Amino acid sequence: MILNLNTLLTDCFITDSPIEIGVFDLDMNFMLCSKLWIENINADHIGVIGKSYYDIFPTTSLKIKEAHNRCLKDDLKIFEKEWFILPDGSAQCLNWKINSWKNNKGEIGGLIIVKEDITGKEIEEKYRLKAQEVAKIGGWEVNLITNKVYWTKITKEIHHTPENYMPTLEDGINFYKEGYHREEIFTHISEAISNGTPWNEDFIIITVDGKEKWVKVIGKAEFVDGKATKLTGTFQDIDAEKRAEINYKETLERFNLAARSARIGVWDYDVVKKQLNCDGNMYYLFELDKRNYSNDFEAWKSVIYTEDKERVISEMIVSLDEGKEFNTEYRIQAGDGKIKYIRSIAEVQYDTDGVLTKVIGANWDITDHRNTELRLLKNKESFTGVFDNSSVGMALVGIDGKWLKINNSLSSSLGYTSKELMKLTFQDITHPDDLVTDLNLLQELIAEKRDGYQIEKRYFHKKGYVVYVILSVTKVTKIDGSISHFITQIVDITSRKQAENKLKAVLKITEEQNNSLTNFTHIVSHNLRSHSTNLSMLTGFLTTEKDEEEKINLMRMLSDSTESLDETIVHLNEVVNVKLNVIDKLESVNVLHTFNNVKKSVIAVMKDNIVTINCNIPEAHYVSAVPAYLESILLNLLTNSIRYSSPTRLPVIHIETKRVKDEIVLTFRDNGLGIDLNKHKEKMFGMYKTFHKHKDSKGIGLFITKGQIEAMNGKINVSSIVNVGTTFTLYFKTN
Amino acid sequence: MLVLPLRCILKQIRCMKKINSACIIDDDQIFVYGTKRIMKDSSFCDTIYVFENGLDAITALKKMTVAGIELPRLIFLDLNMPIMDGWEFLEDFQKIPSKIREKVTIYIISSSIDPRDLERVKEYGVVSDYILKPVTPKDLKNLIEEIE
Repeated sequence: MILNLNTLLTDCFITDSPIEIGVFDLDMNFMLCSKLWIENINADHIGVIGKSYYDIFPTTSLKIKEAHNRCLKDDLKIFEKEWFILPDGSAQCLNWKINSWKNNKGEIGGLIIVKEDITGKEIEEKYRLKAQEVAKIGGWEVNLITNKVYWTKITKEIHHTPENYMPTLEDGINFYKEGYHREEIFTHISEAISNGTPWNEDFIIITVDGKEKWVKVIGKAEFVDGKATKLTGTFQDIDAEKRAEINYKETLERFNLAARSARIGVWDYDVVKKQLNCDGNMYYLFELDKRNYSNDFEAWKSVIYTEDKERVISEMIVSLDEGKEFNTEYRIQAGDGKIKYIRSIAEVQYDTDGVLTKVIGANWDITDHRNTELRLLKNKESFTGVFDNSSVGMALVGIDGKWLKINNSLSSSLGYTSKELMKLTFQDITHPDDLVTDLNLLQELIAEKRDGYQIEKRYFHKKGYVVYVILSVTKVTKIDGSISHFITQIVDITSRKQAENKLKAVLKITEEQNNSLTNFTHIVSHNLRSHSTNLSMLTGFLTTEKDEEEKINLMRMLSDSTESLDETIVHLNEVVNVKLNVIDKLESVNVLHTFNNVKKSVIAVMKDNIVTINCNIPEAHYVSAVPAYLESILLNLLTNSIRYSSPTRLPVIHIETKRVKDEIVLTFRDNGLGIDLNKHKEKMFGMYKTFHKHKDSKGIGLFITKGQIEAMNGKINVSSIVNVGTTFTLYFKTN
Repeated sequence: MLVLPLRCILKQIRCMKKINSACIIDDDQIFVYGTKRIMKDSSFCDTIYVFENGLDAITALKKMTVAGIELPRLIFLDLNMPIMDGWEFLEDFQKIPSKIREKVTIYIISSSIDPRDLERVKEYGVVSDYILKPVTPKDLKNLIEEIE
């Protein structure tokens, strides 16, 4: 620095300088001094100029004096910092800038000294360090010339090194986690040294005890003459914050992933900035390209289905303006015209002062859900439709057997109104013979031994008659698998059943007739064969017989045989006639009158038999009969009783009639020989079956009797005890 | 149809060895007459017992066993008879100790061609065969061979 001290300007520059500055000669006498300094040392200008520095500042330290001398000798520039304890006891930090000046000849003429009170700065620096300590910010410095590394106490604490630890640059770098972090710090250091690029980055270091720790490292290089001489910077422990941040990031990522997977679109509305932000999922849901819209609100508005648009937007606006929570459903129409159902909910957020700041919402596709719901509704509707209008009786029955619901078809086929039927249980209207079967099956259904059952059963109509139905029962289970109720379907098959019964009856008659026809055929065949073989045998003998007497005998037998053939044919004819055209000839016949006629004709031909007849037939009893048949039946019974009377008892016959419902029951009891029914029950009414030795026994009477009474839709039973008597019971129809 | 060969067949039977006694149970008197005549012509046996129903027959047979008289070697049994028919007779006959009746051969002689009757006959072990009426000399020849 070359100073022209002769100029006034220079004088002024020094004198009026805003800093404490002084110019000294080789003997360290004041040549010039700024007013500020003079004021500060409490002296006047004249009293200072020309005086020795050391007189003015007698307490000058040896260190400063030495600095002065060095500068006077070698043309140096020296900075020295010096702490003072002032007379009032307060500490003062002075920074001395000392450099020499040269005269015209280029020789050192003296010194220029700038005194700077940096007490404030120093205190500030102290606070700064303190603050760094509190913030866990350590400092570091690398002298690139000496390669010495300086770490502050906090830096060492962060590395968990002892206080007296003295790292090298290499040591320092080796603390960084191997791999990315170490390479990264190395790159930054290199960049800083070569290009002067500062850095501010987060790294993981491995502390002395092997723990990973996040740190923030700020660094820069200092240059002297274009050469990096020093690296300085800070070192901050940000482990807790960083981990929290990473944790938050992970949580956020998880949330985003969840939202993405669940196709939940998320939006938020910044109330202050009046701005809506939709995430990618929202666009995915709406099948829109974000780039085509100026803002998210416009995009959202564009897809809402026309019918829902006004409503949803107004709901949304109310929510945003008033900070109301929002829970709605709307339809959107995507590009391909397909309608999607969207559920949208939103919550509001307030800051700590209770001011509405944000509305956050979520949207998701509920189309499937909605469609299922609609289908369910349709199913329900169609079930109800079927239930109400079906021609099949249907009912929902609870586990306790009570009706839950019945349809009209069911109640009407049972003759009740729905109200009346609801008061009854199915047990009340079930035929008692079918109840056990039904209940057992129901029990099996409840015990999960079966899923359903179908039976034919009988109910009682309100009017008391039987209704035949096919009952199908299915169980309905709850979501937990337990039984909720039963669905029963009841098909009225009464008319079908009646037809079936009629058919069965016809079939039975046909079968019976067929059977009796077969039997009859065999009887005919047997009897005709008997006669024919006899006839041919007799003729055979006759042709070869020489003896005239024997010839006459054979001729007699031949004649007998022809006669009995004739008789057989008469019998067969009679049997055939019994069953022909009977229905047309039925008329109401008085039983008593008929019996009296029969009795007269029998007694007329009786010679020596004394018979007691007790008749108890009411005059009023008429039966539906063919008169000739009734006569024949009574005649047959009466003659049988007399013919087979006991040789040891006089015959006694009881005859009476009783009305039972729409029938007349006639009992005919004798005290005759009786028949062993254990042996002969099946043959009792058989053709050509005789049980007693009697010349008139043909085995045809009871056979015809049975045929006649059956032809008139009646029936005949017999009970008998050998040697006690026989009782016939006859059932006649009335009109 | 039987007329022409009858005489020659009868001659053949005459040469055969006679059995002691036979029995006919039938209510048809003409059949009994004819059968007896054929049997006599062929000198089929010495004695012919005739019963007109099952009851008479079983009663007589039982009496014979009591009296120690040998039962007839051959019984011709009709099915349709009054009082006790052929079936009932068979039931009762089976009750006679088998030692006494083991030499007796029973033939059912009937006019019935009812298959149910033919089936039912098979249920009775004591019955050897079922012969459809009338009984011919040829039948007699066959069954004599069978007995021997």
